[in-house]
Amino acid sequence: MKKKVLAVLLSAAMVLGLAACGSAEQAASAAVDAAEDAGVDTAQVAEVVEDVADAVADATEEVEDFGTGEIKIWVADAVVDFTNAKVADFMAANPQYAGYTVTVEPVGEGDAAGNMITDVQGGADIYAFAQDQIARLVTAGALEEVAPENVDAVKSQNDAGAVGAATVGSTLYAYPLTSDNGYFLYYDKSVVSDPSTLEGILADCEAAGKSFYMEINSGWYQTAFFFATGCDLTYETDDQGNFTKANVTYASDNGLVAFKKMIELNESKAFQNGSAIGEATNCAAIVDGTWDSGAAQDLFGDNYACAKLPTFKGADGKDYQMSGFGGFKLLGVKPQDDELKLMVCDALAAYLSSEEVQLARYNEVGWGPSNLNAQQSDAVKADVALSALAEQLAFTIPQGQYPGDYWALATSLGDSVRSGEYKSSSSDDDLMKALQDFQDTCISYAQ
Amino acid sequence: MKTKKNIGNAITYIILVIISIIWLFPFFGLIMQSFRSYDPLVEYGGMVDYIIPKHFSLDNYRFLFSGETNFLIWYKNTIILAVFISLFQTIMVLCVSYALSRMRFKGRTFLMRFWLILGMFPGFLTMICLYFLLKQFGLTQAGAIPGLILVSVASSGMGYYVCKGFFDTIPKALDEAARIDGASRARIFLTMIIPMSKPIIIYTALVAFMAPWCDYVFASYIAFGHDTSYNVAVAMTRWVWTNDYQGYFTRFCAGGILIAIPVTILFMCLQRYYVEGVTGGAVKG
Amino acid sequence: MGKGKTDPAAKRGNAVGNVFRTIGVTFKEGDWKTRISYIILGFGELLRGQWLKGIALMLCEVGFIAYILKVGKKYLPKFTTLGTEVTKKVSRKTVYGDNSFLILLFGLLSIFVIIFFIVLWYVNIEENRAEEEILKEGKKLPSNKKVLLSLFDSNFDKTLLAIPVIGVFVFTVLPIVFMICVAFTNYDKNHQAPTNLFTWVGFENFKNLVTFGSSGFGTTFFKVLGWTLVWAFFATFIDYFLGLAVAMLINKKGIKFKKLWRTILVVTIAVPQFVSLLYVMKMFANDGLINGYLLKWGWIKQAIPFWTNPMLARITIIVINIWIGIPYMMLIATGLLMNIPEDLYESARIDGANGLQMFKSITLPYMLFVTGPFLLTQFTGNLNNFNVIYLLTQGQPQSMKLVEKAGSTDLLVTWLYKMTVNNTNYRMAAVIGIMVFAVTAVVSLVVYNMLPSVRDEEGFQ
Repeated sequence: MKKKVLAVLLSAAMVLGLAACGSAEQAASAAVDAAEDAGVDTAQVAEVVEDVADAVADATEEVEDFGTGEIKIWVADAVVDFTNAKVADFMAANPQYAGYTVTVEPVGEGDAAGNMITDVQGGADIYAFAQDQIARLVTAGALEEVAPENVDAVKSQNDAGAVGAATVGSTLYAYPLTSDNGYFLYYDKSVVSDPSTLEGILADCEAAGKSFYMEINSGWYQTAFFFATGCDLTYETDDQGNFTKANVTYASDNGLVAFKKMIELNESKAFQNGSAIGEATNCAAIVDGTWDSGAAQDLFGDNYACAKLPTFKGADGKDYQMSGFGGFKLLGVKPQDDELKLMVCDALAAYLSSEEVQLARYNEVGWGPSNLNAQQSDAVKADVALSALAEQLAFTIPQGQYPGDYWALATSLGDSVRSGEYKSSSSDDDLMKALQDFQDTCISYAQ
Repeated sequence: MKTKKNIGNAITYIILVIISIIWLFPFFGLIMQSFRSYDPLVEYGGMVDYIIPKHFSLDNYRFLFSGETNFLIWYKNTIILAVFISLFQTIMVLCVSYALSRMRFKGRTFLMRFWLILGMFPGFLTMICLYFLLKQFGLTQAGAIPGLILVSVASSGMGYYVCKGFFDTIPKALDEAARIDGASRARIFLTMIIPMSKPIIIYTALVAFMAPWCDYVFASYIAFGHDTSYNVAVAMTRWVWTNDYQGYFTRFCAGGILIAIPVTILFMCLQRYYVEGVTGGAVKG
Repeated sequence: MGKGKTDPAAKRGNAVGNVFRTIGVTFKEGDWKTRISYIILGFGELLRGQWLKGIALMLCEVGFIAYILKVGKKYLPKFTTLGTEVTKKVSRKTVYGDNSFLILLFGLLSIFVIIFFIVLWYVNIEENRAEEEILKEGKKLPSNKKVLLSLFDSNFDKTLLAIPVIGVFVFTVLPIVFMICVAFTNYDKNHQAPTNLFTWVGFENFKNLVTFGSSGFGTTFFKVLGWTLVWAFFATFIDYFLGLAVAMLINKKGIKFKKLWRTILVVTIAVPQFVSLLYVMKMFANDGLINGYLLKWGWIKQAIPFWTNPMLARITIIVINIWIGIPYMMLIATGLLMNIPEDLYESARIDGANGLQMFKSITLPYMLFVTGPFLLTQFTGNLNNFNVIYLLTQGQPQSMKLVEKAGSTDLLVTWLYKMTVNNTNYRMAAVIGIMVFAVTAVVSLVVYNMLPSVRDEEGFQ
C-alpha cells in the first residue's frame, strides 16, 4: 500500500515537471497559436497584415522604435574581434537600434551551415558561410531573402560572380562578403624555379625532397583538373533551392584526360593531399587560397611567392591550364518572426558587407573584397596573393550552386584515387566507368 | 637452470622496454611539440617532420593563458562538468545498486532486463531528440553545461553492474542483523553499506570524472554556436579538424598536455581502485 | 500442453480480467467516497485521513489535466499527420506553421503521460478498496507518519529508484521511442522542421536499406556491417590475448619494477583519448612524423598511405587500438592471474608440464571462464566503439562504391553519426540505429548462451 503512495509522489513530480516543460514550449510558439486563434480565415488576416507591413516598409525611415532583442552573429574565429569592433561602430552610428544587444560567436564557415540546419531557431541571426552551402540553407529555411531595399545596392556594388553566388533561382539570398574563395599557387622561390607547369613544380619539389600539396579529394579543388580540360559541371536551381537540372560532361574524353592527370599526380612522390598550409609538412608549393596568405608568409619567409595555377601536359599530349572554382563568402540573415528585428539584422548585414568594412577586413585579416570599389583600392591591388588570384580568375569558373551531395561524391572520387582504387595501370574502361558513375550520380541529384 | 632463467628474464626485460617505448613515444612527441615556438621568426609553428624542437619555448602555453582564446573557460567548464557528473552519477549508481542488490520488489527483474535492452541502442541516435528536449528547458547553447550534466546523470542509473556486483559480495547477514536491531533500510544503506564500499565508490566516481574530458560528440551537439559553453574536447578538436585554425597544432599539443597532466595524476593516484573496479566488473560481466 | 500447466496467454487474460473486475466491483461495493475517487483522485483517501496519499494523488490529477490542456491538446490531435499547416511568409515576416518535430516528440510524451495516468487511476481505485476493507475489518489505517517513514525502510527501493527511473525514462526511453518513430517518417534534409513538415511513410526507409543498386543503401549497409563485425572481432580478441600476454610477462617471477611497467602502460587509459588519438592520427598521416622519418632515413621511397588506403587504414586502426586496449586487459588479467591457485601450477610442474602446456590447460581455460561475460561486453562495446574510429579516420577514406558519405573504416555508429550531424538524414540514421540495436542484441543473445560460465555455473568452483 505504501508502495503506491510513493508511486503517487513520483508521478506527481514527473507530471509537474512535464507540465513545466510544456509551458516553456508553449511560449516559444505563442506566435503560431495567436495566428491560429485569431480566426478561421488566416489568409485574409495575412493579407491585411501584409498591407500594413507594406506600409511599414514604405515608411522605413519613419520607424522610431525598433524594439529590443538579441542578435547573434557567427563568423570565423579569425574575424571575431574585427566583427565585434565593427558592430560597435555600427551601433554607435545608429542609436535607433540601441535596444538590441549583439553577440559575436566564433563558428567556422564550414560548421555554420550544418548548425543552422540542425536548429534554425537556435542558430545565429546573421552568419557567414561559404557559398557552396547556400542552396542547402535555402531549402532548410535558414536563409531570408535580402531586404528589397538592399537588393539593387548589393547587385551593383559587388562583382558579378559574387552576386551570382548569392542568388538562388532568381532571388538574392545573401550579402557577398569576400570574393577570394578561389585558389592559386603559393610556392617557395628557393625550391620551385618555374611555377608555370605542374610537371616542373613536381620535379623541383622531388629534387629538393619537399612536397607539393593539393587537396584532390575535395570537390572544390578537383575541378581544377576537370574544368581545365573543358568538362562541364553546373546545376540549375529554382527559387526554393531545389536542383532542377544538371549539365555534367565528366564521362568524356576530356574527363578521362583530367582524371588520368589526377591519378598521375597522386602517384608522384612529391605529392601530398591537403590544402591547409598550417597543417602541411615540408611543403614547397601548395594550392591554397588567400585566407592562408599569413601562414604562407610564416612558412616561406623571404622565399614567399604566389602564382596562378600551372599548366599540365595531358595524356593526349596537349597542354591544359588548370582551372577551378572562383568562390565567395557570404553573409546570411535568418528568417525572423519579428519584422523589426529583421530590419535591424538586414541593416547590420548590409553594413558588415559594405565597401568600408570589406576594405577594413582586408587590412585586418587579408580577405579579398567582393565590393568593386574596394577591389580597386591600391592596397588590394598591390597584394601579391590577391593578384595571383586575380590572374587565376581568368581561367576559373564562378562557382554556382551545387547540391551538398556533390561535395561528398567528389570526396569519394578523390579518395578512390588516393586509396589506389584507380591507378595509372587501370584500364581506360575502368576509369571511364568511374567517371560515368560519377556523372550519373551527379545528374541524379537534380530532379 | 639459473642461466636459462636469467636469459628468459633478460628477454622479458627487453620486450618490456620496447613496449614501454612504444607506449610512451606518442606522449613524448606530444610534449616536445608543445614546446615548439609559435613565432615564425624563431621557429615555424605549423606541422614539421621532426620531433625535437630547435628552440624550446613556452609560447604555446603563454598563448593558452593569455586570454586570446577561451581556453581557461573551457577548462573551467570541463572541471565543473567532471566534478558534478562524478558526484551525481556516483549517488545515482549507489542508489540503484543498493535497491537492486538488497531489495526484492515487483518488477525488479523486468527493470534490469529492460535497462539491459535499452543499453543496446546506440546513444547518438537520440542526440537530436535530446537536443530539442533540453532546448525546452533552455539547457542548450548558453545553458549547455547544466544540460550536459543533466543528460549524463539522468541515465547513469543504467550503469549499475559493477557496483551492484560489489554490493552482492557484502554478506546479507550483516543487513539482517542490523534490521533485527531495528535499523531501517535507509540507515543500513547510509551507515553500513556506504562506508564499506569505499573502493567501488572511488572507482565509480573516477570513471565518471574522466568521461567529460573526452566528451566530444554530445557536448558539441548541445553547445554549438556558443564558444563559452564548450568543453576542452569540443573546443580543441576544432584546432585540428578545421582549417580556420592554421598553425594551431602546437597549441593543441600544449593544451592537450595541460589537460592530460591533472587527469593522469589523479588516475595514477587512484589506480588501485580502478583496477579493483574493472577486475570486479570483468568477472561479473 | 499438459493439463496442470496454465497457458501463459490465458494467465495474462485473467490478469486483465481481474483488473476490470476490480474496477467494477470496487465501484459497486464501494461507498460514496470511493465512488467520487473515480473522478477526483485521492478524494477517498483524503476523507479517510490519509491526507498524504490523497493530496499526492490530487496533485497528480491537477498536473495531468494541466499538461493535457497546455501541451497534450495542442500536439496529440496532430500526431497522426505530424502537422498540416505549412510555414508562411507574411510580408517579410516568417510565420512558422506546424512543427512536425515537436508534434512527434510531445505527441509521444502525451501518450506516455496518458498511459501513466490510467495506471495511476487504477492504483487509486485499488487503494480505496484496500482502505475500505481495512476499515471494514475494524482495523485502523496506518498513520501518515508511518506511511512517510516507510519510504526509508520497507519501501526504500521506491525512494532510491524514483529519480533514476524517471531519468532513464525521460532521457533514454522517450528519445529512443522517438527515434524509432522517426524511422517510419521522411524526416531528412528536405523535410526539416520547423520550416518544412515531415510525415509518416511506413516502411519506405527499411525498403531503402535493403535496396541494392546505385541509390539504395543495401550494398553500403552490408559492407559497413561486415567491417563493423570484423573490427569488433579483431579489436576484442587481439587485445585480449596480447593483454593477457603482457600481464603474464609483467607477472613473471623475478621481474622487477612490476608497478613501473604497469604504470607506463596505463598512461593510455589516463590521457583523454581526444588528445592522444588526434596526435597519433597526425603521426601516421601521409605527411606525418612516421612517414617523414622513414623517408628521411631512406627506408621507404614513397609515403605509406596509413589512412588513405582502405585496407591499410583498417589495419592501422586495429593496431592503434591495441595501444589503447592492451592496458585495460593487462590490468584485469593481472588481478585474475593472481587468483589462480598456485598449487594447480605446482602439480602440473610435477607432472612435467612446460610453460606452454600450463598456459593451455590451466591459465587460458580459467581466464576464458571468468572473463567470458567481459569478452561479450567488450565485443558489443567495440561494435559501437565510436571514439577510436572517429578520432583516427572519421570513417575515411570514402569510396565511389559506397553511398551517403560512408567510408571504408566507418562502423555503423560512426556512419550513423555522420548521417545525423553532417547530412541531417535522420530517417536513415534512425533505421541504421535500429539495425545496430538488432546486431548487438543478436550477438549478445547468441554468445551469452554459449558462455561456459552461463552453461556451467559450477565449472571452476
